[in-house]
Amino acid sequence: MADVRVERLRRQFGSLVAVKDISFVFPEEAVTCLLGPSGCGKTTLLRMIAGLERPDAGTILFGDRNVTALSPRRRDVAMVFQYPVMYRTLSVVENIELPLANDRTIGSAERRQRVEEVLEILELGNFRHLHIDRLDLGNRQKVAVGRAIARRTAVTLFDEPTTNVEVHAKLALIRAFKELRRRVRQTIVYVTHDQTEAMTLADQIALMQEGQIVQCAPPRELYEQPAGEFGGWFLGNPGMNFLTPQPAARDGLQFDGLPFPLFAPNAGPEEIRLGIRPEHVQISRVPVPDSVPARVLRTAIAIGGQRLVTLAVGGSRIKAKVPPPAHPPQDTLEIGAEVFAVCPLERAILFHGGARLAEPPRRLVPRIELE
Amino acid sequence: MSGRLSQGLYHAVLWLVALVFFAPVFWIVLSSFKTASQILAVPPLLVFRPTLANYARLFAQPAFEHHFFNSVVLSVLAVLIAVAVSFLAAFAFSRFRPGATNFLMFLLLSIRMLPGSAAILPVYLMYVAFGWKDSYIWMTLFYAMFSIPFSVWILKGFIDGVSPRFDETGIVNGASWLSIIARLTFPQVLPGVVAALIFNFIFVWNEFLFNYIIGGINTANIPVLLATNLSHGGGIDWTFLSSLTTVYILPPIIAVYFFQRFLLVGMTFGTVRGEV
Repeated sequence: MADVRVERLRRQFGSLVAVKDISFVFPEEAVTCLLGPSGCGKTTLLRMIAGLERPDAGTILFGDRNVTALSPRRRDVAMVFQYPVMYRTLSVVENIELPLANDRTIGSAERRQRVEEVLEILELGNFRHLHIDRLDLGNRQKVAVGRAIARRTAVTLFDEPTTNVEVHAKLALIRAFKELRRRVRQTIVYVTHDQTEAMTLADQIALMQEGQIVQCAPPRELYEQPAGEFGGWFLGNPGMNFLTPQPAARDGLQFDGLPFPLFAPNAGPEEIRLGIRPEHVQISRVPVPDSVPARVLRTAIAIGGQRLVTLAVGGSRIKAKVPPPAHPPQDTLEIGAEVFAVCPLERAILFHGGARLAEPPRRLVPRIELE
Repeated sequence: MSGRLSQGLYHAVLWLVALVFFAPVFWIVLSSFKTASQILAVPPLLVFRPTLANYARLFAQPAFEHHFFNSVVLSVLAVLIAVAVSFLAAFAFSRFRPGATNFLMFLLLSIRMLPGSAAILPVYLMYVAFGWKDSYIWMTLFYAMFSIPFSVWILKGFIDGVSPRFDETGIVNGASWLSIIARLTFPQVLPGVVAALIFNFIFVWNEFLFNYIIGGINTANIPVLLATNLSHGGGIDWTFLSSLTTVYILPPIIAVYFFQRFLLVGMTFGTVRGEV
């Protein structure tokens, strides 16, 4: 195994710079997810690591080995694509075994042992002698994963492997991948635009935007402490609420979601925004400390029975994700209802010019706790 | 109701056209079971006592066996060579796109635009000069050469329809190019390969001019036998003609019948293309 280091890597297609001078380390034996919206350059970066795309500038190192000019075959790399490409004339076992058979350094006993291991982990044992054409797309993709993993290459790459499989097969594939991770330690770079998948599978997530890695952190940290507004907006379903300060406020920063002004940081108020995730916004029928009056504009049922509520607060709209009503439902939060919203300050983040400010938001006037 | 009526009319027209095209074949097949006088009877006899005498006479001729053997060997070998070479060429054109690919593809196709009678003289002179006339090998290679352009065209279309992800999967997973071509791409374009095999087989099977000119006693095929033995006793030998033609059209019909599934795919392949 080896870490993967890319240094000032660049790739341009015509006038479009797909990858902009990225320098980054994909740690050894860890799963790094490249996450970002379509067209952000994540697949191009992955293909350059695989050797399928030649960089215009920069270096790619596997450990200490410079592989920039090497063909994919000589890089010691395996890859799983969006669509499971199979050897159609072969069975499941033969498909997994074929790349190993091409490698003369692997003896037949070891080859069989590796194939059996991946068959067991991926729960493909019952299909072992089945012709590959008789497998559904999800199981074929499992075979593709097994074929890549069994080779035990220095680096294994995944290019959105669950995109083309139906939802149950996708979950089965993710479960299999997690089990695989538990049993086999490999340096893995995993490209996806599905944040849930990235959150579930990754040891660390590298968030990409417009050809650059804008933040890299473990999944929870990335979600809770986004380095910029982009991370706050892209992660989460829906993404973060962003509030702009009221221009008329004389002292400090006054936001629609807060009943008190905030201490204005040195950055200046013009590009300041306050971010808060919908699940941190609370809704109450009666006034509570730090609440502001709000009106329900829209409600929707989110996954897991949670309600997604859009509130009008002053001149702003704030999305809140609240728990389902108790049974029998007593509080349906009908459209037009007058309620009170609380945006807990300790959960809020201040951004300036799109980037997160190091200092947390503070009240201009400290809260007086009454005995 | 009007929909059902128009569909009925549509089917009636289709049947009529099919019957018109099938009529000569029907006539020749029917004639092969008649005597010479029955064949020439006016009006044509539709009810008659069939005879196998024409076939008995045909199969008894050593020339038939020899020419039939030549037709089979030349067609099968030439087509296999042509499709094997064409597949590799089409793969190279499709995947590596050498400079001026479109022009080269046009040049290839232009060989098929050339009338046979225009090409026959230089080919004849070359074959005589090199001593290749009436040789199995060179006759086979000539037919292969003539079949390659069309095969490259048809196969390139099929290979273009196979996503480059297939190659990339092979490349990153340690497969050689030969393995990628044989194990990944080939199974995907099997309908195209079968279509190319059948189209070319029919072309070589029916070929007369070049076989007549640059072939000879050793390599003459059935069309040459048909043309040279047509006359008998100052007139056309209809019994010979009808029985030989019936036997002669059977192999292509059998081939098309068994592989029509692939042919239909071959005709429609590329009309809807999706990224895999």
